[in-house]
Amino acid sequence: MAGPPNESRPWPPNSPRAADAGRTPRAGRRVRPGNLPANVTLFARRLRRRGLRVGPSEIGDALRALTAVDVSDREEVRLALRTVFASSLGELPVFDEEFARFWNEPIVSDAPAQSEPEEGEDPEGEPSPGAEERTEMSVADWSGEEAAPDEEQSVPAYSPAELRARKDFSAFSADDLDAISELILLIARRIATRLSRRMRSAKRGTLVDLRRTMRRSLQFGGDPVQLLWRRRKIRKAKLVLLCDVSGSMDIYSRFLVQFIYALQDAVGRVESFLFSTSLTRVTDALDQRDIRRALAEASRQVPDWSGGTKIGASLRTFNEIWGRRLLDPRTIVVICSDGWDTGDLEILVDAMRDLRARAGKVIWLNPLLGSPGYEPVTQGMSAALPFVDVFASAHNINSLRELERHLRGPRRNRPPRLDVGAGGRLGGQRR
Amino acid sequence: MASGSDRSAGFGGIPQIVEILNSQGYIADRELATSVHLSIVLNKPLLIEGEAGVGKTEVAKVMARALDTELIRLQCYEGLDVHTALYEWNYQRQMLRIKLEEMSDRPVEEKEHEIFSEPFLLKRPLLQAITADHSPVLLIDEVDRADEEFEAFLLEVLSDFQVSIPEIGTIRARHVPYVVLTSNRTRELSDALRRRCLYLWIDYPPFEKELTIVHTKVPQINDRLANQICAFMQLIRAVPLSKVPGVAETLDWSAALFALHRDHLDPQAIEETLGCLCKDQEDLVRVRTQYMGPILDTVNGMGASDGWTSERIASLAAQLPKGR
Repeated sequence: MAGPPNESRPWPPNSPRAADAGRTPRAGRRVRPGNLPANVTLFARRLRRRGLRVGPSEIGDALRALTAVDVSDREEVRLALRTVFASSLGELPVFDEEFARFWNEPIVSDAPAQSEPEEGEDPEGEPSPGAEERTEMSVADWSGEEAAPDEEQSVPAYSPAELRARKDFSAFSADDLDAISELILLIARRIATRLSRRMRSAKRGTLVDLRRTMRRSLQFGGDPVQLLWRRRKIRKAKLVLLCDVSGSMDIYSRFLVQFIYALQDAVGRVESFLFSTSLTRVTDALDQRDIRRALAEASRQVPDWSGGTKIGASLRTFNEIWGRRLLDPRTIVVICSDGWDTGDLEILVDAMRDLRARAGKVIWLNPLLGSPGYEPVTQGMSAALPFVDVFASAHNINSLRELERHLRGPRRNRPPRLDVGAGGRLGGQRR
Repeated sequence: MASGSDRSAGFGGIPQIVEILNSQGYIADRELATSVHLSIVLNKPLLIEGEAGVGKTEVAKVMARALDTELIRLQCYEGLDVHTALYEWNYQRQMLRIKLEEMSDRPVEEKEHEIFSEPFLLKRPLLQAITADHSPVLLIDEVDRADEEFEAFLLEVLSDFQVSIPEIGTIRARHVPYVVLTSNRTRELSDALRRRCLYLWIDYPPFEKELTIVHTKVPQINDRLANQICAFMQLIRAVPLSKVPGVAETLDWSAALFALHRDHLDPQAIEETLGCLCKDQEDLVRVRTQYMGPILDTVNGMGASDGWTSERIASLAAQLPKGR
């Protein structure tokens, strides 16, 4: 961080002769604005560079706010500017840091030179990515961009695909994996279209539309002969994806993430986390056009990709840090793991209970469920099962396809239900 | 923006707000006073976030008293819709009128026009706030519990302070209300809404402030017990619980201990009153079996009246057991 001498502004901010006066009188007098607007603008720009959403209207508010407080009082100015410029808890420390840096209390010698804001700003440019770049990144909608519309109908009838659909992911050779990814994207896109179409065409209301019924009743002299209905809007479910990336789970998690991301448009917001011995949020890393490159990037972010597993501790971390904000009765939590927990079982049970209490539905995908003869006997798995609404597999393409019906919405009936689909031994063969 | 400052004209600024807040039994800090002041002066909605039980709602009530105006409250919940928030037609009354008019020869259009006029309108909080004679304080409580669609609608109302009712036309606010929104952060609010508002975060009070609050609200309590209670509260907020007790719990607990004629904390006293603190069965068990002992030891280890500061308590809190 370069520190040119004019980096910190003299206090009070609008007193051009501050330097000559030495320490400025702090009496409650209100001084006319000198270079204050320029400095506030400059300060606002700094905040914007740090990611705060500060625009001209905020600057206008800030200037109005400063006329309403005692500008010779540094603390009051700090609080006023903070009220206007910061807009969430996370922004408060950033604001405080920048404020301390910019409106530095010690008076610097070149105070009158403050009238050239443009010059002062540039050399201090922070190396962190600008806000502009970030919006561009989040706007990128890879699933829409990447869509290859030409092949859409060909999927279900494509017979080699049928074969591949039943093959366990781990049985594919490395060369095949790209092709499988393509296939998964195509299937996901079809499902996405279907999900959204079904939502639109649901008929028959559940609530009497009093307003329209009254209006219609005028025709019949005021008797509500014909009842008109309205129905509650169907909302898209939100998804939280918690993927085990330790050891053998890695490959299944990769495909599941790709699948869910391709469904994104149909299911609403998706938040993704990867875990093995610890939990990492990768929603932002995956927010890119190319999901495979994004995954590669996410794996760099995860410190212990393909290491051991602490499911309980990871889920607990999730509950503590993200649970309150992300979980509600409309949220479907999808956990993909084999249930091999090397940590404390009690932690896992606590975490699962918490998760189930807050989320609308908990789906546990265990890829091992696809292997013949598997029974969920690992301690972790049997500890977690009572809190799971849907227990299914995710070991091959068909099992991903089956996921569709579970993603339609939160559970209707509250009591836990063990629904083992997709060819798992517990549920028997389906279809 | 229409004149919203009819009440703020004679308003005495930050010191006066602090004074009013204090006189209402609300221990205000400067940060809060500044935000309230600016919200009034700039006439921008104030978004208050913070954990449950830190007194967010209280701010709006005090603000209304300070401005000597009406408080209109809209409690948000999931599924809250425009009919509940803005207006609804009074169907019973409409029906009755239709019956009464059955025999008259007036044309249908006229009848219809009549039953869809203002006397048949049930004003819900938002419409009440917009049509009030003086600028009221509009409290939109727990806005994070309403869904995104409603938030978008709210944003529209908050930017123009006008609503259109198809049967009547557009109603514009004569006096722009002072708006306070609160959120428990169960969901992220949209950037657009955040940008529309001034922002204030209310944290759990530090030890000293909480002590003042206890002394103000439960004045009969003795110093030693009050110190112990507040230290205990600071410490219990440092351990992992699913519902962290707020200031309201502190006050309930203080009152309960006082009512039981306790003058200091001991395991039995805590055991008997733990329900005031923990409103969740699992927390209750956790505190009883795991945390109560260490916390009480820590409190008792703090000695007599000297050195009870939030800094010291914070460093002690760091040594408490963390796991479940």
